[in-house]
Amino acid sequence: MKIVIIGNSVACINAIEAIREKDKISQIIAVSDEQSRAYSHPLLPNLVIGDISRSDERFYYRSRNFYEKNKVKTVLGKKVVGISSQNRYIKLENDEKISYDRLIITAGGKPFIPKMDGVELEGVHTLTNIKSADKLKKDLINIKKCVVVGGGLIGSKIAEKLAKHGVKVTLVELMKRVLFPVLDDTGAEYIHKELKSLGVKLILGDSVVKLDGNKRVKKAVLSSGKSIDTDAVIVSVGVKPNLEFINESGIEINRGIIVNDYMQTNIDTIYAAGDVTEAYDIVTSQKRPIPILPLAARQGRIAGLNIEGENVKYGGGFPTNSITIGKISFISMGIVDTDKLEILKIKKDGEYRKFIIDDNKLVGMILVGNIEKAGMFNWMIQNRFDVSWLKDTFLNSDFGWQYFSKAFRILRFDRKIK
Amino acid sequence: MKIVKIYEDSCVYCHLCEVACIVEHSQSKDIIKAFKRETKPIARCSAEFNYPLSYSVMCRHCDDAPCIEACQTGAMHRDERGYVVVNEDKCVGCWMCIMACPYGVIKKDERREVWGLSTKCDLCPDRETPACVEACPNNALMFEEV
Ligand SMILES: Cc1cc2nc3c(=O)[nH]c(=O)nc-3n(C[C@H](O)[C@H](O)[C@H](O)COP(=O)(O)OP(=O)(O)OC[C@H]3O[C@@H](n4cnc5c(N)ncnc54)[C@H](O)[C@@H]3O)c2cc1C
Ligand code: SF4
Ligand code: SF4
Ligand code: SF4
Repeated sequence: MKIVIIGNSVACINAIEAIREKDKISQIIAVSDEQSRAYSHPLLPNLVIGDISRSDERFYYRSRNFYEKNKVKTVLGKKVVGISSQNRYIKLENDEKISYDRLIITAGGKPFIPKMDGVELEGVHTLTNIKSADKLKKDLINIKKCVVVGGGLIGSKIAEKLAKHGVKVTLVELMKRVLFPVLDDTGAEYIHKELKSLGVKLILGDSVVKLDGNKRVKKAVLSSGKSIDTDAVIVSVGVKPNLEFINESGIEINRGIIVNDYMQTNIDTIYAAGDVTEAYDIVTSQKRPIPILPLAARQGRIAGLNIEGENVKYGGGFPTNSITIGKISFISMGIVDTDKLEILKIKKDGEYRKFIIDDNKLVGMILVGNIEKAGMFNWMIQNRFDVSWLKDTFLNSDFGWQYFSKAFRILRFDRKIK
Repeated sequence: MKIVKIYEDSCVYCHLCEVACIVEHSQSKDIIKAFKRETKPIARCSAEFNYPLSYSVMCRHCDDAPCIEACQTGAMHRDERGYVVVNEDKCVGCWMCIMACPYGVIKKDERREVWGLSTKCDLCPDRETPACVEACPNNALMFEEV
């Protein structure tokens, strides 16, 4: 069998590992428009300010000999521009064709760029891959002041890093708090404090509508009419799946590539995994893109196993986040802010705990500070665990296995229940 | 595969497993030096208590280890023995493994200068019988097949 994978990142690597567990013979070809071996995207903000360099092994997702060890041929620096699902080949930008028996699309996402005047000016950046990180890093000598547009994960992280690096950062966020989908007001307050203490100026409930400058950006104009003098702008208002090359292939897309429980698209021989997909969210009961690394890894693995005929189901995912800004670490998952469901919460010395419960099933939580047991809640959400008899203990700082029933605890410790 | 099996009825909350684990993961593997002179490692097992219950819990070395899946650098990996361990030179302390571990048995070590370090049971690679198992006076921890 000849297996071709588009993209060479988290989902791709996990697919390769799964395939090779079962099958040492099939040919595997990984094609990416990036030059580098797979690397850690979450470390890009660190790369920009020089916390980490490209000669540091930490930056890479797998070791240098990964491809050789797994007998994978890589085609790097080549963009895929089309797929012929009838004749089973992909087309590269230089018109080269690569045929396949099975195709896995793991093309990830790209930054969403809002339509506004001035986004094409010099000094306007995004941050989703090495190329954009290198460009921003090179530009740092010109940057004393910077406006970050959007206080999501990438925006908050790069604002923190640049501020630590000595840049005067203004972070503009449309919503009333940063990290809007992954924190509530109380949780975000911790992060606001950290960012402010690093010298980041926060402008909330406002948005950048226009960028001014001659060749290079000089000013960001806000919808409130305010304007901010700046040397650079980083646009980080979200990511969206890379779908251009899907166009006439017949693959069904919505906001992302639609996949079934087996990570298969509507075309039998084509699978998709990672940020490029729209897979089932078990917390909101709908298909939608959830662009996070652990799900890209899981989906990649499942696609690989199913190509090998294993019949493994995805079972759905939900957003999970582990973020450190300044001195504050938090983990949150699922639904974090609602007034329609049962809520348990407590804020005490150095920690904040919040749990969202729907009909005795945990559907979301936030832990700030004391995070070491977070994964136990992840398990409860994933397995739709009945928490009616346990939830009273969730707010205890020492929450742990001691609060479960003995029989259940023993079965779990002995790995009798997954 | 053998892991450390937990027999809670035999546990008397003496913390000797933790002491043994700390010594085993210290620079010198000497109890006095480990506790008084060197940077004291964090115990990979935790004795937990809720009268009259107590037990010591550590990594279950899952088949489908969610901690590996969540790791952004590949630091969390399966070694040649099949056990799940952290490569300290790759870990960046992002705590994504903690977010994923269904047993809540990974600890944060925030004492390194630049990167945090995820700390968990490595099933004592230098030993035949894990240190905690050997140290337990009551067979509340046993090295057995699951
Ligand atoms: C700055 C930053 C911080 C992040 N922080 C976190 C975090 O803390 N936690 C978390 O869970 N997630 C985080 N993420 C998201 C995480 O990196 C992604 O979920 C993960 O990388 C997705 O993996 P993937 O394999 O699906 O796609 P990607 O990693 O996006 O890889 C897709 C690859 O395909 C290539 N490609 C795309 N189109 C084509 C084409 N037409 N032809 C050839 N190649 C193509 C791309 O260049 C890319 O190399 C972060 C992302 C960024 C950018
Ligand atoms: S650290 Fe947790 S998730 Fe990882 S193998 Fe151990 S018990 Fe499983
Ligand atoms: S803390 Fe270390 S081992 Fe855990 S996920 Fe992050 S890099 Fe991997
Ligand atoms: S097996 Fe070794 S590393 Fe694991 S808890 Fe016991 S002593 Fe610590």
